[in-house]
Amino acid sequence: MMARAPRNPVGLGAEPDLNGSVLDLRTYNPLVKVLGPIAAMVVAIGSRDLLTPALFAALALALLLVGGRLAVRTLGGLLLGVTTLVAVMTVSFGIWTDPAQVDHTHALLRLGPLTLWSGALETGLATGLRVAAVVLLALLSGLTTHGADLVRSMIAQLRVPYRIGYAGLAALRFVPRFAQELDTIRSAHRVRGLSGGRGPVAGVRRYAGYAIPLLAGGIRHADRVSLSMESRGFGAYPSRTERRHIPFRLRDGVLVVLLLAAAPLVPLLVHHLTGGTP
Amino acid sequence: MRHELPQHGDLPQHGDENVVHYGRPSPDEVSFEVRRGEAVLLLGPSGCGKSTLTLTSNGLIPNVVTAQVAGTVEVSGRSVADHPVPTFAGDVAMVFQDPDAQVVMATVLDEVCFGPENLRLPASEVLVRAEEALRTVGLWERRHDDPSHLSGGGRQRLAIACALALRAPLLVLDEPTANLDPVGVEEVHALLRRIVATGERGVLLVEHNLDTAVELVDRVVVLDHNGRLILDGPVRQVLTEHADRLLRLGVWLPQAILAALRLRQAGIDLTPLPLTPTELGAALDACPVLPAPADAADPVAPAGEAGVAVEVSGLTVRRGRVPVLHEIDLVIPAGELVAVVGPNGAGKTTLAQAIAGVTRPPRGTVRAAGVDPARVDGRTLSGLVGFVFQNPEHQFVATRVDDELAHGLRIRGVAEDELARRVDDVLSRFGLLELRDRHPFLLSGGQKRRLSVATAIICRPQVLVLDEPTFGQDRQRAAELLTLLRDLHRTGTTVVVVTHDMHLVAEHASRVVALAHGRVIADAPPADLFADAGLLARAGLRPPPVARATGTLVRHESWRAVTRLADLPTGTAVPA
Repeated sequence: MMARAPRNPVGLGAEPDLNGSVLDLRTYNPLVKVLGPIAAMVVAIGSRDLLTPALFAALALALLLVGGRLAVRTLGGLLLGVTTLVAVMTVSFGIWTDPAQVDHTHALLRLGPLTLWSGALETGLATGLRVAAVVLLALLSGLTTHGADLVRSMIAQLRVPYRIGYAGLAALRFVPRFAQELDTIRSAHRVRGLSGGRGPVAGVRRYAGYAIPLLAGGIRHADRVSLSMESRGFGAYPSRTERRHIPFRLRDGVLVVLLLAAAPLVPLLVHHLTGGTP
Repeated sequence: MRHELPQHGDLPQHGDENVVHYGRPSPDEVSFEVRRGEAVLLLGPSGCGKSTLTLTSNGLIPNVVTAQVAGTVEVSGRSVADHPVPTFAGDVAMVFQDPDAQVVMATVLDEVCFGPENLRLPASEVLVRAEEALRTVGLWERRHDDPSHLSGGGRQRLAIACALALRAPLLVLDEPTANLDPVGVEEVHALLRRIVATGERGVLLVEHNLDTAVELVDRVVVLDHNGRLILDGPVRQVLTEHADRLLRLGVWLPQAILAALRLRQAGIDLTPLPLTPTELGAALDACPVLPAPADAADPVAPAGEAGVAVEVSGLTVRRGRVPVLHEIDLVIPAGELVAVVGPNGAGKTTLAQAIAGVTRPPRGTVRAAGVDPARVDGRTLSGLVGFVFQNPEHQFVATRVDDELAHGLRIRGVAEDELARRVDDVLSRFGLLELRDRHPFLLSGGQKRRLSVATAIICRPQVLVLDEPTFGQDRQRAAELLTLLRDLHRTGTTVVVVTHDMHLVAEHASRVVALAHGRVIADAPPADLFADAGLLARAGLRPPPVARATGTLVRHESWRAVTRLADLPTGTAVPA
């Protein structure tokens, strides 16, 4: 059956009430939540110590915990996921780090030719924390924003042409459909006996074989969607009614200042705390 | 021929058209008008350009889909070719075949508002229209849901609500029920009947589910093979007075008419010809005497020895945490043609895929063609159990039609001369001989479907499983496919077919397995199933038209068991 329900690919399932409490992140302007944390992400990625990314991650997590209004399952998954991510990256980067750079630190474990240096673990942990900080900062918008609201605020505040915004929204709905279709094509090719062969060459050939039916289906679907959109007046006028207005309010100003200020303030704080020695 | 009809002010008018669309036959000098409050059904043989014609009504052809058009289509006094498509949204509303391809927004309400918003109506007006449209189609309570969570019928009703919210005087629907299960078809037709009854709109409908569609339209326009308009008139007059001509033309007719034509050969003259099952039932009851129903040797009885082709025991399949199939037990004797039916989401496809090992069932739960799909490798299995996916394109792996067929034999190490012989044989049997050097993706829909079945059977599997092979296809192509399946079945292949098509079930299946909520609720010959109204309702099915007609007979009790055209008497038997 083609008709299996694809899941909403991004963000909230329903549009949030924008007139809710100031402590509810969902009521904030999506652009603030998407663009505001970018400066902090850049600083976090550029940091080399442990404390800076940890503080950014903690700040993002605190905002999500207080204002995210997350479901218990989402919250559990989030905490577990971030912890696992940091742990896995710590260990794996710890093993892969060039020993020449860290062999002045303690050797924690020796397994045959393999030595686990404490310095390597530290590098791994720092990397893990940087990634976690970026992910959590991105989830500030990801977990509290409805995709259509983001498009609406892009049109209202960034003056993005609505044709581009809504075409993007329609394209987002293709994602789960594509995933499902790829799945079907893979099993169809397996039935035809194409699963044979291992290694990268066979793998590339296999995926090249999926490309044609996937593209053919995708183009046909996109064609049909565009026929349907045009038939419903999409693009008839230079503007369209936006039933739902996404405002930019005082609270949005405060949040954006807070997020922008965090970018330089967190490293300053770290510098102050550690006295300049990482 | 040109029919001059009184012309209503702002309604679209199809002028002389001559559309060339990708080299296919297409409407040729078609002229007709659709008036407010009138529902027009567009009929014609497969590929005559019905869809092409609908696409011209708001200028999608030639403005978006490239084609050469001679003549004009005028809407509200403007020629569609000279203005952008979106500017006609308030004049012509379109509903297409695929409900999935008409969803843009994330909630039902947003989706309905999308059109009026594009027309820059004030927000309050947008909401008023959206509410009215959603209440009309019965989806107001679900306005906050994601459209993808609606059933197929629900999504198509949503597409109609989107069209209604535009308040266009003309509603054009191109095969709106082709992708739906029987319940969905019924929902959409009931809705269309209400819309037509308001008299506020003109409706132009292309539809292959004719049996209920004829009840909701006033007029029929018929195109021939070359896309020329040959008939235009009231539905009853056109269909009954020209039934023979339409049949010769390859136009599909309502089952009631087909039944009456068949009975005419048996000397039973039902005049005037009945259009609907109800009329057929009444006409039969009005006959004082009827011959006994045909007792012809069942053409679909199991062929050959009575081995077991498929055995399913205690099969439970979960998707994530949700069980899709619960403890299924099923035995399919060799040589049966089994239809697996049930509402969308009942687990039909999952069951079919488990039988064919497309998704590995748990060990020991399935035996098909003598092996456990969970224990043998894919290549061995696909030689024993063929599987045909719903979308033929998914299965194509080669760049030529003949390579596509040779592929399965080649990977099994069949010698080249034997291979060439078998490929040629299958090509000619499936009518693909002239197309052997084409790319499979460039075939027509019906040809692609035939090729996908051919690739599955060329390895001579003992069991052939098909997932909704007639989905989205018109009657002619479906009939073509069924002939192929019946031939395979006659030569001893066990065929398992997942379908919503009750006509297919009634006429061709030797057994029906009905699923609901992941459980088998019936496993019986079609005639027994169609006689049990309660069971049908639980399985989300509707009896085929012939069974609906005979189920109500008072005078001829022995006829109540007649559920398909093949049961009707033909030939020489004349009532005494």
